[in-house]
Amino acid sequence: MKIDEGDKVVISGKSGSGKSSLLSLALGFVKPDDGQVYFEGLPVDEKTSWNVRRKIAYIDQDVSLGSGRVSKLFEFAAGLKANAHLDFGCSEELINFFELEPSILQKSIQELSGGERQRISIIIAVLLNRNIFFLDEITSSLDKHLKNKVADYFLNRENVTSLIVSHDPVWTEVPSVRIFDFEEKTWQQ
Amino acid sequence: MATIDIPVLSLALTFLLFLIPVAISRIFGLKLIKPLFTSTLRMVIQLALIGVFLKYLFIWNNPFVNFGWLVIMIVVAVFSSVKSSSLKMSKIFIPAFASFSTATLLVVFYLNIFIIPLENVFDARYLIVLGGMLLGNSLRGNIVGISTFYRQLKNDTNHYLYVLSLGASHYEALLPYIRESVQLALKPTLAAMATMGIVALPGMMTGVILGGASPELAIKYQILIMVAIVVSTITSVVLTILLTMHVCLNRFGVLRNDVFRKSQAG
Repeated sequence: MKIDEGDKVVISGKSGSGKSSLLSLALGFVKPDDGQVYFEGLPVDEKTSWNVRRKIAYIDQDVSLGSGRVSKLFEFAAGLKANAHLDFGCSEELINFFELEPSILQKSIQELSGGERQRISIIIAVLLNRNIFFLDEITSSLDKHLKNKVADYFLNRENVTSLIVSHDPVWTEVPSVRIFDFEEKTWQQ
Repeated sequence: MATIDIPVLSLALTFLLFLIPVAISRIFGLKLIKPLFTSTLRMVIQLALIGVFLKYLFIWNNPFVNFGWLVIMIVVAVFSSVKSSSLKMSKIFIPAFASFSTATLLVVFYLNIFIIPLENVFDARYLIVLGGMLLGNSLRGNIVGISTFYRQLKNDTNHYLYVLSLGASHYEALLPYIRESVQLALKPTLAAMATMGIVALPGMMTGVILGGASPELAIKYQILIMVAIVVSTITSVVLTILLTMHVCLNRFGVLRNDVFRKSQAG
């Protein structure tokens, strides 16, 4: 399986078939028993995985944002050394764009709904200003209108590479999207 | 003012008080009678042996023997704190031993060399008694500290990985967990310190007063020992976490499953 720059790839397959593990492998969270993952021509190993993680914006399917106030999470992400060059100032624009209230920053993560958590994690992913997105079931708790908005955001940008795990048809309706059948191990579209 | 001796027979009568927990256990079906008696038996045997041992230790007062005994105490403390965590002894014994030793020896020798004007810094009465108090407390702190750290990290794996994906370095990603476990580990010690003298007359002070010294002297020793306990506890907890981290996480920054004991893995 090979993904080029600018590709929008949706991985399809049954739940539990290991689609999410594929993302974990690429991020160096799991070591492959067999075979090798390459990122920008280099094998993902103990050294390179740290760099890989700084180039990919990743959202896991459980949206594991931790606990505490939402604004604290933004501060934490912005405060990391690797993100020192980033400007998190435009977060309000994105909060509006994804149809959340600005007051959400003052809420605690635990009291957010599933849909709110998904949108917060999307906003953080965008603020990281990376060109590659690994998105694992990020629209499962959103309504139709928001699903379209999110899918549109990640599929219609030329310089963005997206690797998407989802059961949502909203991702595969776009003709330019490539679909990889994870069980058959073949490209469908 | 010498301490009044307790005749052995009277000491035995102390156990009459056990009628109370035995009755409570019976009434509420707590099944505590057996553990109560096994623990008591262990305590009596261990203390009897150590009583004899300490007597000779104090008589010989040989620097090598004293130091050797302190090392044995450290080994036992490390064993019991690792045992109460979910980690494998074989993996983390060495780093835990290194951190317990550093923290205890550093503080004990600082006291024995600079604070208490001792002629012999290996004097059993100070080296072993002070060392033991520090170890007992480090032990308690570490039981909370390392268990919390690794349990949190394990239960929170997805969030931890998410933080790594945000671009966090190893250290940045682990810092919140280190903070939480050290704070939790230190809580009982800080609480004990804050209520000292009011809620509890601590063991050290009771011992010194019963031993015939003036309360003023007892208080001086108590202050000294509490400062020493806080310092050695925080040092050993932080060091244990930092040193075991390198064993328990792989170079991808991910927690290794094989460091947990079988029943805990998964």
